[in-house]
Amino acid sequence: MTAVAVDEPPPIARDGRPHAIRTEDLGVKYDLRFTKKTTISRSLGDILGRGSKKDFWALKGVSLKVVHGESLAVIGPNGAGKSTLLQVLAGIIKPSAGVVDVRGHVSGLLTLGAGFDTELSGRDNILLGGAFLGLDDHVTRELMPSIVEYADLGEFIDTPLKTYSSGMRARLGFAIATSVNPDILLLDEVLATGDATFREKSKARVIEIVKAAKAVVLVTHDMSWVTEYCNRAILIEHGRVVAEGEPADVVELHRVHTEEAKAAKLAAAKAAGLDSAVIAPR
Amino acid sequence: MIPYAAMSATTEVPGAFRHAAGEQGPISLVREGITDIRSRQRLVRYLTTADMHKRGADTLLGNIWWVLDPLLQMLVYLIFVTIITNQQVPGYPLFIFAAILPWKWFTASVGDAATSVVSQGNLIKQIAFPKLVLPVSAVTSGVVGFAFGLIPLLGLMVFFQDRISPYLLFLPVIAAVQFVFTIGIAFLVAAGNVFFRDLGNVLRHVLRLWWFLSPGLYSLSKLDSLGIFQAHPALKTILMLNPFAVLFEAYHAVIYGTTNPPGPPTMPNLLSLGILFVVSLFLIAFGTYVFKRLEPNFAKVL
Repeated sequence: MTAVAVDEPPPIARDGRPHAIRTEDLGVKYDLRFTKKTTISRSLGDILGRGSKKDFWALKGVSLKVVHGESLAVIGPNGAGKSTLLQVLAGIIKPSAGVVDVRGHVSGLLTLGAGFDTELSGRDNILLGGAFLGLDDHVTRELMPSIVEYADLGEFIDTPLKTYSSGMRARLGFAIATSVNPDILLLDEVLATGDATFREKSKARVIEIVKAAKAVVLVTHDMSWVTEYCNRAILIEHGRVVAEGEPADVVELHRVHTEEAKAAKLAAAKAAGLDSAVIAPR
Repeated sequence: MIPYAAMSATTEVPGAFRHAAGEQGPISLVREGITDIRSRQRLVRYLTTADMHKRGADTLLGNIWWVLDPLLQMLVYLIFVTIITNQQVPGYPLFIFAAILPWKWFTASVGDAATSVVSQGNLIKQIAFPKLVLPVSAVTSGVVGFAFGLIPLLGLMVFFQDRISPYLLFLPVIAAVQFVFTIGIAFLVAAGNVFFRDLGNVLRHVLRLWWFLSPGLYSLSKLDSLGIFQAHPALKTILMLNPFAVLFEAYHAVIYGTTNPPGPPTMPNLLSLGILFVVSLFLIAFGTYVFKRLEPNFAKVL
């Protein structure tokens, strides 16, 4: 199962459709005093000393709506707040401002391949993973053989995860995370792991889930995915939504912005009298 | 291809949520905390068994240190107290063992709880689940160690057969009160350690001081003969407010007996145990409130 034919998703009449995800004026604030590994000794000085607030808004004023049957791509430069947005939609981070309203079971394939506990065997990890995802016991046990087969771990399934290669861990993590069929699917750079064979296999799998899910939000740097599988896209820069609309248009705008940023950086470097060849990326 | 389960088949994960900025009141936070644990009992069970599996705690050999450690510690105090300070107390090994065992249970549980949230940083950033299950399962898996620690206690009682009494049946009751108290502390240290990574260092010293201030190696009645307590009777009242004063006195009563005057095992003080139980429930409520209040920041800080 290498090549999968995927039809263009049909355009969606947004009005009148029930939403799966809705955010209103969403903001996420990080208190920088606590984001570093703090210690009592250091914090005492910080807290008692100048009460200077060091806040950083990772997201600000984000209002968006994803209706059932829609798949939304989130693109933007590194550090723009894309992953934070997914964490909010998954319910992992609560908003510091605004509202997020999610209707349906959410499953997030945020960073894959971590596994759950490196001291435990693959089999125990599957059970634990099922419990974390909230699967019923008998469901996990029923899924067990197929997960084991898909992850293709052979006899390693009964040895602790710490003996696995990173590829094996990625396969197991992926197999566990995709063993549920959610209403709302959140994907964060999922296709970046594994070898070529597994990437093919996992891509097919993701497409299958995307088709089954009622709503999808996808974070990626792979623009061909955006234009191929998404019917709407937003561009996030510095925590704000700067564009929303047709995937092709948003991707084009992102490309233009990236070029501009590159040019600006080069110009700044030149102005500073530095050798541009050193600064220029790639 | 994996046949996958429809996620709507899950019973433990809510099918919708709405998060708004702003703070919840203490009562709604505590109520939410109770729902968190009740709805995810199975996750607690899995985490607990996984933890025991990892440590080999489901076998006797894996628990060998739960058997040896209290015995060796008892030996140290025995040498220190009876030889160096030259005090003779009949049946002293049993007396101190009755306190060392529950204390080891407490410190081990609190220590595990302190790292329970921090060590799961990766998961917390990937999956939304109620983080309260982490300290709960840390404390729960400590119960098994304590149960294995009862084996050397039984062994020791063979040498003090005259002290075996029906009052030993109160052990589970006293242990239950200690368990409830430990949970409350566990919530506080688990949440605190996320923001202050050196909490473990502080905790070690606090716990050591706590141990020596608690009547584990001595009995409360012994203090009456000390000059400072005769001059300031209020000091003793303060010492008796210590939860472990209540617990150790109760363990001593049912395992060892009374010291002043020396006597066989008796009823534990059920009133003070009852008060401690109620206070512990309030401590759990407070711990839950603090934990839930800080929980939204875990994913950002870890």
